[in-house]
Amino acid sequence: MKHIFPSCRFLLVMAIVVAFYSNCKKSDIKMTTTNDVNIASYIAQRPDSFSLWKEILDRTETSSFLDAYGSYTVFAPTNTGVKSWLTANNVASVAAADLNVLKEIVKFHILEDTITTPAFTDGKLPVPTMHGQFLITGALNQGSVTSFTVNRQALILQSNIRTGNGFIHVIDNVLQPAKLTIAKALEGDANYSIFVQAMKETGHFNLLNTVDPDPNKRWKTVLAESNQALADSGITSYAALKTKYSKTGNPANPLDSLYIYVAYHIVNEIQFLGDIITSPSHLTLQPNEVISTQLINNEVMVNEDEFNGIVEPGVLLVRNKSDNAATNGVWHHSNAHFIAKFRYPTAVFWDLATFPEIMKQPAYYRKALFTFNKNSLTDRPIADIDWHFNGENYLRYEWGNSPTATLYNFACYNDILTIPLGAPSNNNRATWVEFTTPPIIKGRYKVWICYRNRNAVTINVRVNGELMQRPVNLGQGYPGGSDAELESLGWKKYTTGGSFAGRLAGVVDIPTTQRHKLRFEAISGTNRDLHFDMVHFIPVDQPQYLPRFAPDGTKVWQ
Amino acid sequence: MRKRFLYIVLICLAGLTSCKKWMDLKPQDGIVKDEFWNTKEQVDAAVIGVYTSLQANTELYFLWGEARTDMVAPGFRAIQDEMDMVNLNMLANNRYVNWRTFYQTINFCNNIIQLAPDVLQKDNTFTQQHLDRAIGEALTLRALTYFYLVRSFGEVPLKLDATISDQDIVNIPKSSTQVILDQILSDLKKAEPSLPVSYGSNDLDKGRVTRFGLNAILADVYLWMDKYAEATAECDKIINSGRFSLVNGREFFNTIFLTGNSAESIFELQFDVQRLNPFYTMHTPANKRWGAAPHLADNVYGIDLVNPVPLVDVRGDRAAFRSTDFTIWKYVGAEDNGSTFRAPDQSFAHWIFYRYADILLLKAESINEQNKPLEASRIVKEIRNRASAIELKPMDSTNKASMSLYILEERQRELAFEGKRWYDVLRNAKRNNYAQRQLLLSMASISLPADRRQAAFTKLQDNNSHYFPIFFYELQTNKLLEQNPFYK
Repeated sequence: MKHIFPSCRFLLVMAIVVAFYSNCKKSDIKMTTTNDVNIASYIAQRPDSFSLWKEILDRTETSSFLDAYGSYTVFAPTNTGVKSWLTANNVASVAAADLNVLKEIVKFHILEDTITTPAFTDGKLPVPTMHGQFLITGALNQGSVTSFTVNRQALILQSNIRTGNGFIHVIDNVLQPAKLTIAKALEGDANYSIFVQAMKETGHFNLLNTVDPDPNKRWKTVLAESNQALADSGITSYAALKTKYSKTGNPANPLDSLYIYVAYHIVNEIQFLGDIITSPSHLTLQPNEVISTQLINNEVMVNEDEFNGIVEPGVLLVRNKSDNAATNGVWHHSNAHFIAKFRYPTAVFWDLATFPEIMKQPAYYRKALFTFNKNSLTDRPIADIDWHFNGENYLRYEWGNSPTATLYNFACYNDILTIPLGAPSNNNRATWVEFTTPPIIKGRYKVWICYRNRNAVTINVRVNGELMQRPVNLGQGYPGGSDAELESLGWKKYTTGGSFAGRLAGVVDIPTTQRHKLRFEAISGTNRDLHFDMVHFIPVDQPQYLPRFAPDGTKVWQ
Repeated sequence: MRKRFLYIVLICLAGLTSCKKWMDLKPQDGIVKDEFWNTKEQVDAAVIGVYTSLQANTELYFLWGEARTDMVAPGFRAIQDEMDMVNLNMLANNRYVNWRTFYQTINFCNNIIQLAPDVLQKDNTFTQQHLDRAIGEALTLRALTYFYLVRSFGEVPLKLDATISDQDIVNIPKSSTQVILDQILSDLKKAEPSLPVSYGSNDLDKGRVTRFGLNAILADVYLWMDKYAEATAECDKIINSGRFSLVNGREFFNTIFLTGNSAESIFELQFDVQRLNPFYTMHTPANKRWGAAPHLADNVYGIDLVNPVPLVDVRGDRAAFRSTDFTIWKYVGAEDNGSTFRAPDQSFAHWIFYRYADILLLKAESINEQNKPLEASRIVKEIRNRASAIELKPMDSTNKASMSLYILEERQRELAFEGKRWYDVLRNAKRNNYAQRQLLLSMASISLPADRRQAAFTKLQDNNSHYFPIFFYELQTNKLLEQNPFYK
C-alpha cells in the first residue's frame, strides 16, 4: 500500500490539473433576451427586396428611430416599387432625389401605432400617418388572387411581419400623399364648375383651400355636386343656382341661402365612405343642420329619412367617384342635388311601449305581459332603452284591455311600461333609465311626461343630459279644475279617463333634427311598480293639452 | 487476494440481480402495444375511444359551420379570433383553425384499421364479422373527419397509416381536394357492407354509425362532389329503410334536442352528465360568445301579423333561438317556452351530425339538380308542413333555379345552428364553377359589419378565401406544408 501512494498522488494531481483546464473554457453567455430585430434592421437584412427603401430611410435619417423601441407600423415598398416611382418622377436615383420630397414620402409610410390587417376596414386606418394624412385600405381581386390595397395606390404583398418594435407590411408601390387641397382638386375638375363657383362666391373656397396646422381643425369632408347632378334638378348654370337660392343677393352672407347650401355640403371631420356609415348622422358646417347617412343595399345614401310616415328619398354617394383624398380632407361625389330642409317643429306624441323588440313578438305585443331582463352590464335587450344594471334589473311591457284593469284601461293602446326605479340610497334597484327618442325636429318644445299615477317616486327628467325644470312625482295625479287651469299648473289630462296624468317637466331647446336621449333618474322613493305610458314633445307655440288619446290610440280633439 | 475476489463476485451478483428492474423501460402508468390488441373487448374499447375523441371537436364543428354565416352574431364575450372569423379577416394564428383534434381522431381510426386485424389470431372468440364492423366504423369516422377537413381547408395532408412510434412521425405535404374526396368515397364504400343496420338499442343506433349513418355521410359527400344520382340513391336507402320519420311538429324541440336520440336522428354525438358539451359557456346570456342574428325572426322564419292566433314556425322562435334576446336556444334551453335554461351541469345536448330532415332536403337538392323541381317541391312541402312554416314568399316549383334557392333557404330554417349553413352555401355557390357566387356575397352583406363589407365582397371573389388558413404551428413543424395562397 505504501509504495502505491506516491504514484496515486501524482495521478490524482494530474487528474485534477487536466480537469481544471478542460473545464475552464469561456462559456458564451447570451446577453440578449431575443433574436428579434427591429424594423430598420429587418429591412437592412433583406437588401434584395429593400435596398432602395433602406437607402431612402438612411438619407432621411429615419433608420435610427425605426430601430429604437416603440410601436410603429411601416409600409415598406420593394425595390421594384421604388424604381417605378423614381422613373415616374424622372429622378435618376435615391441620392439625386429632393430630400424634402423623400421626407414627406417616408413620413407617409409610417404610422405611430401597431396596425395589423384584422384592423383594416373599408375606410381609413384608425390613426393617421406621421405625415398627417390618413391612409385608406381595401381589397382588390386580380385574376382570382386577392390582396389588400393601400390608398388605392399599392398592393400588400406580405402582411403582418412582426418585428421588435412594430409591424411591417410589404407593398409593391410607393404611396404618394395627396398634393392638392379639396378646393384645388375640385377646381381642377371641370365637372364641378358650378359647385366650385358657389364655393368661391360664398367664401368656402378659401376655407377648403387651407391646410390648418392644427390637426384637430384641419380635416373636412365635402359632398360635391357635379354639374350633371344640378342639371338633373333643373339648374344648368351658376347664375341659375344663384337666382334660385341667393335671396339676399350677397352669397357671402352666412344667412344667405346659397351660403347655407354650400355649408350644408361640408362636414367638419374626415370621413371616407367606409367611415361615414358608422354614424347615422353628421353635423355639417351649417350650424345645427345634420345629414343622415345609412347603408341601403350596400350603397351609401344621404338624407333618406322618414318623417311623419312619409319617406323622403335620399341622395346616393357614388362609390367609384368618391373617396378622393386631399391634403385637408376628402371629397365625395353625390349623384343628385340636395339642400337643407326647413322643417317646421312638429309635436311628437311618443308612446314609450312601442319599440321593435316587443313589436316583433306577436304573441305578446298588445296581447300579454312581457319582461325584458338585463343580464349583465353590457347586455342590451332593447336597443333604444337602457337602464341601470343594479338589483332588480328588468323592464316590463304590460297590456290589458279589460275595463276593470285600471292600470291599463285608458292607457294609449292599453299598454304601459313598468320600470322599477329607486333613489341612489336604495341599492337594490335601478336608479336611472334612458330612452332614445324618435326623430324630433329642432325647435323649442315643452316636455310632458304621461304616466299612470300610483306610487310616490320622484324622478328628474333629462333631455340630452340637460335637467328639466320640474321633477315629476309618479304618485301624484292631476288636481281638479278646467283644462286651462290644469295647464297653468303644469298638468294635463291626456287620456279620456282613468288615473293617468300628464306632467310638464320643462321646456327644452332641441338643437338638431335627429333622435335624442331622454333620461329618468329617481331622486327620492323607491318602488318597482312605476308605470310610464307616453312622453309628449309639443312645440311651445302649439296647443298643449289637446289632443287626448283614446285607448285605441286615436287622437281626440275635445 | 481471495477476499478481493470474493468482494468482486458479490458486487457483480448484486448488480446482475437488480439490473433488470433498472433497465426496465415499460411505462409505469400505461399499456404498451404488446399488452393491448389482444382481445375483442380491447378492439371495441378502441372503437368507442374514437367516438369519444369526436367530442373534443364539437366547438369546432359549430364554429366552422356557423361562424362565417348570417345565422349568428358574436356576443359580448367573443374573442378577437372569433371576430376575425366573422369579418373574413383570419390570420394563421387564429386558434380555431387548429386541426390537431381532428388528426388525433384520424390517428385513432388508423390505429384500429392497422392493428385490429392482428387480434384475429390472438383471440379465438373474435369473428371476422366483428372485425369488419370495427374497421368499418373506423373507416367511416375517418372519412367523416376528412370530409370536415376538406370542406373547411380545401387541401390537407392525407395520412392513412397509423402513427404508432416516434419513427412514424413523418412530414407529409397536402393532398389535393380530389384525392382526399376520392379516398373518402373509397373508405365509405369499403365500410358499407360491414356496418350493421342496428346495434341492438336505440341509444347505440343513434350514437354509433349504423349502415344508415354511413349512407347519410355518403349522400353528403356525393352532393358536395356534384354527383346527384348517387346522392339521391344514398338518400333513398335511408328513406326506404322505414326506420326514420319526421318527429311531430309539436314535439320538435323537446324530442329532438332536449331528449335526443329521437326517431328522426340518424347519427348524433352523445353527451351526458359525465361528459358535458361546450355550449353552456358559448350561448347562455351571461357568457354569450355567440348569439342568433337579429334578422332571423322576421326575414328567415317570418312573423305572422295577420292571424289573431299567430302562426309560429316551430323551428324558429323558442326552438332554435329566443327572439327576446336572440340567444341560441337549441343547445342550452331546458324547455320549448324560452324561459328556463339548462343548469350548467345539465348541459349535455347532443351534437346532431345527420337527421332525417337533413336527408330529405339533401334528396330534394339532388333531384332538383337533375331537373325535377316539382318532386323536390313535394319534399320541401312535407318539411314545411311538419314545421307549420310561415309563407314568406311563394315556392316556385316549376323553375330549377328558384327551387334551388328555396331549398337552400329551407335548409337554413330547418338546420339552424347545426353546423351546416356555411357548407350548404358554399356547396351551392361553387356549383358549376361558382356560377352562384352571389350567394356568398349576399350572406356576407348580412353577416359583416357595415364598414367591412366592401373588402369582404372583393375577398370572396378569390376562391381561396372560402377556406381556412393552416395553423401557424403546423407550418412551423411541417416544412412540407404550404399555406393557403390567400393568407400569405
